[in-house]
Amino acid sequence: MILRLFLPAAAALAASLVLSLPSAPAVAQTPPAKPPQAEICDACHGPNGNAVIPENPSLAGQTWRYIYIELKDFSEGRRTDPVMTPISKVLSRDEMIALGNWYAAQKRATNQFKADSAKVDAGRKVSDAVLCPMCHGGGFVGQNEVPRVAGQNPEYIRKQLQDFKAKRRTNDAGNMTSVAHTLSDDDIENLSHYVANLN
Amino acid sequence: MSCKKPTMRYAVLALSLSISVGVGAQEVSGSATTTGKAMTASPAVSQAMLDAATQDAKSWIHPNGGYEQTRYYPGAQINAGNVGKLKPAFVFQTAVLESMETAPIVIDGVMFLTTSFNHVYAIDAVTGEEFWHYKHKLGPIVTVCCGNNNRGVAIEGGKLFMGTIDAKLVALDAKTGKLLWETQIADPEKGYSETMAPAVVEGKVLIGTNGGEYGVRGFVKAFNAADGKLLWTFYSIPETGHEGVWDPKDATGRDMHRDIAAEKAAFAKDSSFFQTLGGGVWMTPAIDKKTRTVFFVAGNPSPDLYGAIRPGDNLYTNSMVAVDLDKGTYKWHFQYIAHDVWDLDAVSPPILTQAKDKSGKMVDVVIHGGKTGHIYVHERNTGKLIRFSDAMIPQENMWVLPTKTGARMLPGANGGVEWSPMAVNAKARLAYAANLHQPMTYHVEESPYPGGKLWLGGAFKTIPGEEQWGRLVAVNLDTGKVVWGVKTPQPLIGGVLATAGNLVFNGEANGWFKAFDAMNGKELWKYNCGAGVNAPAVSYMVGNKQYVAVAAGGNNQIDAKRGNSVFVFALP
Repeated sequence: MILRLFLPAAAALAASLVLSLPSAPAVAQTPPAKPPQAEICDACHGPNGNAVIPENPSLAGQTWRYIYIELKDFSEGRRTDPVMTPISKVLSRDEMIALGNWYAAQKRATNQFKADSAKVDAGRKVSDAVLCPMCHGGGFVGQNEVPRVAGQNPEYIRKQLQDFKAKRRTNDAGNMTSVAHTLSDDDIENLSHYVANLN
Repeated sequence: MSCKKPTMRYAVLALSLSISVGVGAQEVSGSATTTGKAMTASPAVSQAMLDAATQDAKSWIHPNGGYEQTRYYPGAQINAGNVGKLKPAFVFQTAVLESMETAPIVIDGVMFLTTSFNHVYAIDAVTGEEFWHYKHKLGPIVTVCCGNNNRGVAIEGGKLFMGTIDAKLVALDAKTGKLLWETQIADPEKGYSETMAPAVVEGKVLIGTNGGEYGVRGFVKAFNAADGKLLWTFYSIPETGHEGVWDPKDATGRDMHRDIAAEKAAFAKDSSFFQTLGGGVWMTPAIDKKTRTVFFVAGNPSPDLYGAIRPGDNLYTNSMVAVDLDKGTYKWHFQYIAHDVWDLDAVSPPILTQAKDKSGKMVDVVIHGGKTGHIYVHERNTGKLIRFSDAMIPQENMWVLPTKTGARMLPGANGGVEWSPMAVNAKARLAYAANLHQPMTYHVEESPYPGGKLWLGGAFKTIPGEEQWGRLVAVNLDTGKVVWGVKTPQPLIGGVLATAGNLVFNGEANGWFKAFDAMNGKELWKYNCGAGVNAPAVSYMVGNKQYVAVAAGGNNQIDAKRGNSVFVFALP
């Protein structure tokens, strides 16, 4: 069924459309309180989900669904990490969803990363060729269980792509491991600049 | 506002962040708002009207024109001689700036159209004034591979029926937009969702499911139009027998390079994967009332590219299937590609028409336009393949198997003919198909079932530097020969309308909506809608005036420029 079609000329436009989405919900609601389980996350992911350790992902503004699914994968062994695996195993489904909701509601801080313009251009071309936006959405804002990666720390992006390529991370149903398989180190470097620069 | 489950409610809210594009403050989820004039008509569609819709030049009451799905409008006020004078009558702007794939339906001067995220509008089909606007209240989980699209409603009596991206079926009061009932079709957390327009017949609403990229078990279900209760289910993946006949060749006789011995050995170890084998049914079925038969096509197996985990023919994926209308029981199937590892699923909706068989006798047929680039013509009662057409787009290196580093093969995974409905002009003996050409490499990666996540088992990649384009093609039903073809600068997705005015209407991603001479493909008229025209056009008559309507909302899948409008044209 899937449509993996990509027209490079339309990419920038699509990105601008997505990025122009309203930032407030249609119906006013009180944001959720910070779940107590989130306190333990602060050290690595930042007190409001904006990570200060470059290798760790910022969770602020991430889709709630991705956070929930990754916690579930850590808990059920599809993804492993010496820190995240034990933390996830003590969380209930509702607690995972609560964490996802809370981080999704946090404001993503603007990335201060100074991207190399040549690498940004080269990264955009790689992205077009391997059809990144078809799953991650125009502007890399994520959809459904596919994560937002726009504006992530470049070190984190590089590490994930390298982990997929080396199959150190394999909870992707074969999608990202396959995409990363043919990426060179330069491709990964360029993609990290391009995507990190998408604030 | 009380809230028993704040966490889940906020999940809904989080989702709405991405779907509240341009929605006015007065909109309320799950209800209708009257923002224009009151509807004076009381749309009511009888079974007799539904049965005769293909011959009805006044209305357009099926998404594809009739149960036969020919998309052939029998009126000729707008014709090849005067289409050059066609002008916009009005433009209706929806509140949703996102991909539009809707086929509007029109009855009693009222048009019903849908947008992404399951909004429905009722508008005056002559002036564009809005009667009401319904916005579906989405549940917390939506799982769609290819955009939050909707392809239209079905109507019976005074009720409209719509499938939703959170895998529900809803019934609305056509006059007011009020929600009458809703029923959960399947679990969206497992990858089920709805984008197709349902079919409705004799009090049954027929609908399939998306999910071939998520490891669903495909189906067609029939629900009671009165209350939403389930009447029958036909699974497009049988619990036993899905291994089929271990067919080494495709429908055209080409070797598919299967390692049948290895597949049989794997199947002997584990044949329990029917629950995750895919086979989504995601376009509207055709219905033959005379033989009480429903015809649909089933999509690709899951995972798309990694076939080793699902040995066998993977029935009834990539097949045309006929089932009994009353009981939902199997009649016949015909599989185009056994054990598909290229995502070349069968999706463009079947069409019931007539064609010459091999002896030259005119017989009832059902046809399908494939992602392979062939149009397949089957005997309607048996499914037997009478012929397949010339390839409408380039084919190359078929059927090379996907590799870790990528194997190049044409067509790419989108076809050929994607979901775009074809049209048929029986008098001209022509079927019209919107094709696309997109060179790709196919990559495979081992992957167990990931629990409801996107499950491709590899990747599709376009090939930098290779041109992508579209082609509108006319094929003779009786010979399978391509009669004419018009190349377009961008891939075609959306669908075709043919009319008795010897016209063919088709849209393009660059905003052009064009009319062609049905006999030779000569371009006769065009209008630029300012956003991608990636939806099938419809035609109708109010008073003594014929109109042609088409949505221009762009397209998520081909990243065509987004819009939010339906354009309606008429002669001055």
